[in-house]
Amino acid sequence: MAGRRERLLHPAAWWLWGLGLATAASRTMNPALLLLVIGVCVLLVSERRDPAAPNPLRAFLVLGGVIIVLRVLITIVLGNGVYGDTILFTLPRIPLPEWAAGVRLGGPVALEPILYAVYDSLRLTAILACVGAANALASPRRMLRHLPATLYDVGTAVVVGLTFAPRLLTDARAVHKARALRGHDGHGPREVARLAVPVLETAFERSLGLAASMESRGYGRLVTSTRASRRLATALALTGLTGVLAGLYGLLDASVGGALGLPLLLAGVLLAGASLIVGASKEERTGHHRDPWSWAETATVCAGGVPAAVLVLGSVQGWDGILAPQTATLPPVPLTAVLAIVVAASPAFFTPRPRPQVDA
Amino acid sequence: MTTVTKSGPHTIRAVIALRWPSVVTIALAGVVGLVGFTWPFLASAEFVRSHGNDTPWLFAGLLGLLCLVCLAEVSSGRLDPKTIAVLGVAAAAGGGMRVLSAGTAGLEPLFFVIIVAGRVLGPGVGFVSGALALLTGALLTGGVGPWLPYQMLCAGGVGLGAALLPVRAGSRAERWLLAGYALVTGLLFGLVMNLWFWPFLGVGAQSAMSFVPGAPVAENVQHYALFYLATSLGWDLPRGVLNAILVLAAGPALLRVFRRASRRAAFGVPARFEAAEHDPTTRQVAS
Repeated sequence: MAGRRERLLHPAAWWLWGLGLATAASRTMNPALLLLVIGVCVLLVSERRDPAAPNPLRAFLVLGGVIIVLRVLITIVLGNGVYGDTILFTLPRIPLPEWAAGVRLGGPVALEPILYAVYDSLRLTAILACVGAANALASPRRMLRHLPATLYDVGTAVVVGLTFAPRLLTDARAVHKARALRGHDGHGPREVARLAVPVLETAFERSLGLAASMESRGYGRLVTSTRASRRLATALALTGLTGVLAGLYGLLDASVGGALGLPLLLAGVLLAGASLIVGASKEERTGHHRDPWSWAETATVCAGGVPAAVLVLGSVQGWDGILAPQTATLPPVPLTAVLAIVVAASPAFFTPRPRPQVDA
Repeated sequence: MTTVTKSGPHTIRAVIALRWPSVVTIALAGVVGLVGFTWPFLASAEFVRSHGNDTPWLFAGLLGLLCLVCLAEVSSGRLDPKTIAVLGVAAAAGGGMRVLSAGTAGLEPLFFVIIVAGRVLGPGVGFVSGALALLTGALLTGGVGPWLPYQMLCAGGVGLGAALLPVRAGSRAERWLLAGYALVTGLLFGLVMNLWFWPFLGVGAQSAMSFVPGAPVAENVQHYALFYLATSLGWDLPRGVLNAILVLAAGPALLRVFRRASRRAAFGVPARFEAAEHDPTTRQVAS
């Protein structure tokens, strides 16, 4: 594979892969499988990370760790209603006033509730790891290019924002330094106010200049949205949203018509999605560099889809080891599920390598 | 396209005029968002038992789509380059604040920018700039996750609400009302944003602070109140107070900056191109 041209994979491929693996993780509570999912994410990120993007996987994993610790602490102090025989230790019980009836503070702490808390939050951590891996593998900024034409203007505003934000910070630093040289070394809200005015003035100056030059070059008149297509989009959006609302009502309150809920919701989502595409049908934009979609992208999406399909099937059919028992024994490890998750690691080997960033 | 209302020295221009379809779209999305946040109190026990752990993800996807639909409906075909430029600055300021405050989780001075932008530029820009500020911040820090749609919808609402506050622009009362609004929204944002992940903290298990599927509303509200007091209030109160202080200290100056920019941009003044008289002294310059 060494001779293959270096390029970045299509961002949608990585995000669909992450979504698939996250779906798989959401179906199981087996700690072995969940740790395997996290391992796959770490492997992929270390092999195929987008060198231009920040790597947020570590932050996502830290967040997951904090959630686990928080859950365990809450369980130790307040309990979580899972019954357990294996008492680890006993905390002093604190009597509570009348209004907090039903609240238990302290008392005996068993192993089983703690295991339940750890497994359950480990699942959340694994899902977060998948999202974090998708963030690191394909910067979500690159998805801005693939917005539907209706959102082209909004996408441009975000791109302007993304470009100006670092400059804003540089400006703020410069103004702060200049003020410090003059002997104003204040902190706090008043200092922010003094900083904000020159910084934002400059930013507006710059961006209105940009707007003037965009306007004088006839920018933004390429997305043709006729009055009729916009009306159609509005009608679709309103119908879709009403459908979504009706579907949710049906789903949440089963007594009204649970059977109608899901189809209505799906129809609403489809209509609302269609409104995004219909709004500006004739797209005449040209792109500087289009991300290609080749077999590597398809294979990556499939590699994410396999564990999702296997684990959804496993949880529906109730395989052994998909839902681990909260006892002090090692959970059984279903081989099929392990293999399916290992398949998700395969993109680390067959996808093209990203081009290493040249130091500027 | 855009409406210009001239009223005294402080002219407020609703840069993106909200017409009735946009209003209805935002209202419907708001109701779906409300359900997305409060479903733990509304859902029947059997629904939670069959879908409990998926519901937050379902709503994350749903609200993501609705955010896009709202943004498209409010903006499509109505953004000229000047509006895009101003939205870009609001998004950049919000996103930059997010990056700066990344170390102090929760202490986000971001709302203060959204509130000022919404106040000066009207409800349409308030909504769009609120949503875009959060999106830009997430894109800058690489923190795109299931929480983003919830945050975008909430922040959009904050910007929209700031524009609708019934107070005369430039008056003394405006400053205090905005400060109060910043405090309240800072607290409310935390109160509402916790709700989306609260069900994760123990579906199917009972504890004094966790979600009990199908229990009476009062019981779940009591549990949530305990959870909020124990975990989140400590973050939300400083954030609300910080934003309120920032509005008090920097609000008037920033309002002036935004008003000046919107005057200079001359929104709502249609640009006209007229054929120039033929003048032999000026030479045609090829672009």
